[in-house]
Amino acid sequence: MRGPARIGQGLLTDPTRRIGFQFDGAALEGLAGDTLASALLANGRRLVGRSFKYHRPRGIVTAGSEEPCALVDVIGAAGREPNRLATTLPVSEGLVAVSQNRWPSLNLDVLSLNDLLGRFLPAGFYYKTFMAPGWAWERIYEPLIRRAAGLGKLEAIVGDHAAPAEIVHDHADVLVVGAGSAGLAAAEVLGSAGLRVLLAEQDVALGGGTLLDPRWSAWREETCRRLAALPAVRCLVRTAVLGAYGHGVFGALETLGPRESARFGGLRERLRIVRARRVLLACGAPERLIAFPGNDVPGVMLAGAALRFLRCYGVAAGRHPVLFVNNDEAYETALALADAGVRVAAVIDPRPIGLAAARAQAAGIGVLAGACVTRVFGRRGVRRVRVAAPGAADRIIDADALLISGGYTPATSLASQLGGRLEWQEGIAAFTADPPPAAGRSAGAARGLCGLATAAENGARAGRALAAELGCALPPLASGSAPPPDRNATPLVPLWEVRSPGKAFVDLQNDVTAEDVRLACREGYEHIEHMKRFTTCSMATDQGRIGGLVAGAVLAAALGKPLAEVGQVKPRPFAEPVPFAALAGGEVRGHYKPRRRLPLHEWHERSGATFVNTGLWLRPLVYSRASSWEPVLEEARAVRRSVGITDVSTLGKIDVQGPDAARFLDFIYANTFSTLAVGRARYGIMLREDGMLFDDGTTSRLGSSHFLLTTTTANSAAALEHLEFHLQAVCRDLDVVLTDVCDQWAQFAIAGPRAREVAAAVIPGLDLSNNAFPFMAVAEAKIAGISGRVFRISFSGELAYELAVPAAAAPTVWQAALEAGRPFAIRPYGLDALNTLRIEKGHVTTAELNGNTSADDLGFQRMLKKSGDFIGRTLAARPALTAPDRLQLVGVRPVDRAQRLRNGMQLVAPEARSSSLGYITSSTPSVELEGWVGLALLAGGRARIGTRLVGTSPIHAESTELEIVSPHMLDPENTRVRA
Amino acid sequence: MSAPETGIALAPCPADLVELVAFRERAGDLGQLAAERGVRLPGPGELVAGPEGLTLSVRPGRWLLLSRPVAAGESARRWAEASRGRCAVADLSSAVAAFLLRGPAVGEMLARACRLDLEPRAFPVGRAAATIMVQVPAILARLTPGMLLLTPATTALHLREWLVQASRPFGLALASDATVSELCKESST
Repeated sequence: MRGPARIGQGLLTDPTRRIGFQFDGAALEGLAGDTLASALLANGRRLVGRSFKYHRPRGIVTAGSEEPCALVDVIGAAGREPNRLATTLPVSEGLVAVSQNRWPSLNLDVLSLNDLLGRFLPAGFYYKTFMAPGWAWERIYEPLIRRAAGLGKLEAIVGDHAAPAEIVHDHADVLVVGAGSAGLAAAEVLGSAGLRVLLAEQDVALGGGTLLDPRWSAWREETCRRLAALPAVRCLVRTAVLGAYGHGVFGALETLGPRESARFGGLRERLRIVRARRVLLACGAPERLIAFPGNDVPGVMLAGAALRFLRCYGVAAGRHPVLFVNNDEAYETALALADAGVRVAAVIDPRPIGLAAARAQAAGIGVLAGACVTRVFGRRGVRRVRVAAPGAADRIIDADALLISGGYTPATSLASQLGGRLEWQEGIAAFTADPPPAAGRSAGAARGLCGLATAAENGARAGRALAAELGCALPPLASGSAPPPDRNATPLVPLWEVRSPGKAFVDLQNDVTAEDVRLACREGYEHIEHMKRFTTCSMATDQGRIGGLVAGAVLAAALGKPLAEVGQVKPRPFAEPVPFAALAGGEVRGHYKPRRRLPLHEWHERSGATFVNTGLWLRPLVYSRASSWEPVLEEARAVRRSVGITDVSTLGKIDVQGPDAARFLDFIYANTFSTLAVGRARYGIMLREDGMLFDDGTTSRLGSSHFLLTTTTANSAAALEHLEFHLQAVCRDLDVVLTDVCDQWAQFAIAGPRAREVAAAVIPGLDLSNNAFPFMAVAEAKIAGISGRVFRISFSGELAYELAVPAAAAPTVWQAALEAGRPFAIRPYGLDALNTLRIEKGHVTTAELNGNTSADDLGFQRMLKKSGDFIGRTLAARPALTAPDRLQLVGVRPVDRAQRLRNGMQLVAPEARSSSLGYITSSTPSVELEGWVGLALLAGGRARIGTRLVGTSPIHAESTELEIVSPHMLDPENTRVRA
Repeated sequence: MSAPETGIALAPCPADLVELVAFRERAGDLGQLAAERGVRLPGPGELVAGPEGLTLSVRPGRWLLLSRPVAAGESARRWAEASRGRCAVADLSSAVAAFLLRGPAVGEMLARACRLDLEPRAFPVGRAAATIMVQVPAILARLTPGMLLLTPATTALHLREWLVQASRPFGLALASDATVSELCKESST
């Protein structure tokens, strides 16, 4: 019997529940609790994929998230999702997985030809080849290389269900990362001290390394039981901490188990944003590989992974394995396999016989001391290995798996991200990093300690230290099973690479060999970060967790420097792949952004309005579903001929109160407000600090120290921020209170020649005659019995009254106005009609107040006050802002009245059509004037009034001769608004 | 009005809402005005229940008063008349929607949108804070009966829809109106 197989009971699998799944079209069976990797091994599969560049056959190398090779595409109802790790993907009924980066099949991959051409495809080959002809790179070479390289395929939007993921905010006194012996012991101490603890473990079960040693079962179970009884401790499994962001903020990705997923409607991932006062990093030390020729053949696996497959899933990585290790811890795999009945062919150890080797020999396992593996035979699976030892002839050993261990590399990513400095630890031949004391501590294997008992003791001590730092009384030591003692071990001897002919990989995911690293060094990429970017070593999903340090060691040897000096690649978030869906959380589709609804939204909807998004607002565009201009023109015509009513509640409204309110407004606005009488409104313009126009609107004086300021809809939030900033940072001596009252007041404009009659009917207590309530008058009044405010202001150019009432009363007042207007055939009008009316009249809006226009450009120069300071005063005086050739506001009309205008049409001289003189900002068919009318920004526009230009829209292939006219195309004397 | 034993109960909380803001030089005058009207002004980040209603502060020198709804603008008018210029008074009754969330899972549900630490030890009864939830401004205040949530009226439906969806996995009950009087009564017992 050869190859991997299930040989017993696993800690995490349920032998009574069989699960059917497919891999590359073959129907296979696993057990509940299996990962795809363990299930494939249980089915005797060693070959699971092809490599990134050389398309070499690849198998399963690890048993966790550090896996570089066993990436698969998962095909579900929503499509094909690439790059799922077989080593963490749980097997579920009906799972369909396919291998990646091969054609036509996994066994026979045409592009494995690349492997034979490998000497022509070293690291960075594409920087030096494919140089000519220049045009061919983008059109031929790059597409070909991209097609040949890569991993999975994305063929559909993944996770297209109602709530693909969610984001949860967590808070804790201490975040403990990792639930091995150190993390569990620390969490218990911290929880016993009364601290809020969040224990995050990326595995499906708590325990870490204790899951792999049956002697630790009792300790683990008792500790977990005590933790469960501590109310302030929360243990999260399947939760990987992805990054540390400073100020105690961490990101963690929780993958939901089946039950939790069903409860949350099929949710798959949950991004947790954790805020903690301290962190305890007990995230262990991943095992690392050894670089030697053939270290990527399917069947070559890390020894620790083989132990996990055996203990957790009852799966042997091979029935006749050879081990190649340089440390005593890895012998546990040989002993466990032998104990489970597997015939271990040999353990190859470059060291002399040590304590673990002696134990192995006592168990009947052959140990070849002082030897190294120099070659692996077999292409789609390990068949034999060649072993060399100084002074002895090479030996060929028959094997179906090669289990390797080059030592352990403490996980330093999070500590480094927190600012911890790397420290070289000679004893383990690796770097460690402690977070700064103010951020937390590291413990256990992450601190470079070996042995579960040592780690547990260290974790407990770190927990006590953190508890003391956080001002908690130290709890008594926990009673219960004493942890099993660590076995004495012979020190590790560093072994990074066995140099022998053939490809020796340091990064299996990116097909980077030790020779590639030396090439980078020869090419001058001597810094480890430069080497990374030249070779792509330590990139992609595994981030070089099992080979990054080996690559550093190869570089160090090439440079003739100690590895401690060369360092290791700086880790950045994310430590593991994160689906975009998890980052987006629940704020997608209908929840992508808030919708602001008008107080009368339901009325508008019932009345057949077509809505338009303006900022966050949903505004009625026109009360029709038709896409023609006719309904718009009917609404506008009603205003010009009789009366219309429109909802202008979206206007920004800011309540300004205080003894210095008038002084403040004089500073905010470019024109004067301190002279405004109570009961009157005034149009005002605001400038930015750079002198450009910022916003406009009317401001009313409701009392001697009480104003109501209105802004454009688009700028309402920015205007409030502008006011708050200047009040708090610039006008700190002024006693003024600003309150955003936009949502408080619903506001309607009743406009048209019959507006007075309609308004009078709903405001019986107010004399609306021209003498008593002239243009720009303001009053408080009962409106349809509701306390409100009346403003005689107009944006349409017609006689108009704006009625403001508390939003809750909006339906009552709106309905009363409609009733009052019925004799005059009152019509509600939407944003399109409002635009038609204001364009005819020459009123500007955000199309013209676009951030690039000055007061002079829009004809407001005379509004700038001559004395007193205001925002933008100095820079508005720049000659450039009043230069006669600037784009200035004008009106435009087609000479041929049957021609249409378009927003964005360029204005050109007939004799120089390639040179734009300006453009149309707003246009509409007119109800009062014949044909279309528009507003435009035109170079030296005012001087061109009365001339003709051409309006052209090349993308519509349209050209129209235009008259340049005054922007005030209708009633320039304002007789209508004062009627 | 009782809290559910499991899950979450969501109830609208109709109320008149008045904002009082002290003018810089007249903070003492506002304190005096409040005392005259039997209202205690809590410190920033706090909420108190009194006979007039609930009073909370999430910005220094500003207080929100929630009281039983009367005619539109009436509560604010009474305060404005009484203040005689001693402070700024603004009626926000229509500007803000109020909800009461009750039940053991409220904190867990709100953690899906709220960055604040709402664990009862960190955010006990009487604590109030302004925050952002699902891109919408919100004020949260813990009362004895549950969590009071205030949010701008025009985006309240957006937030409510989110609350309903987020509450479902925990078990959601849509409850009848929670009145300010009941909240005050339960908070003072």
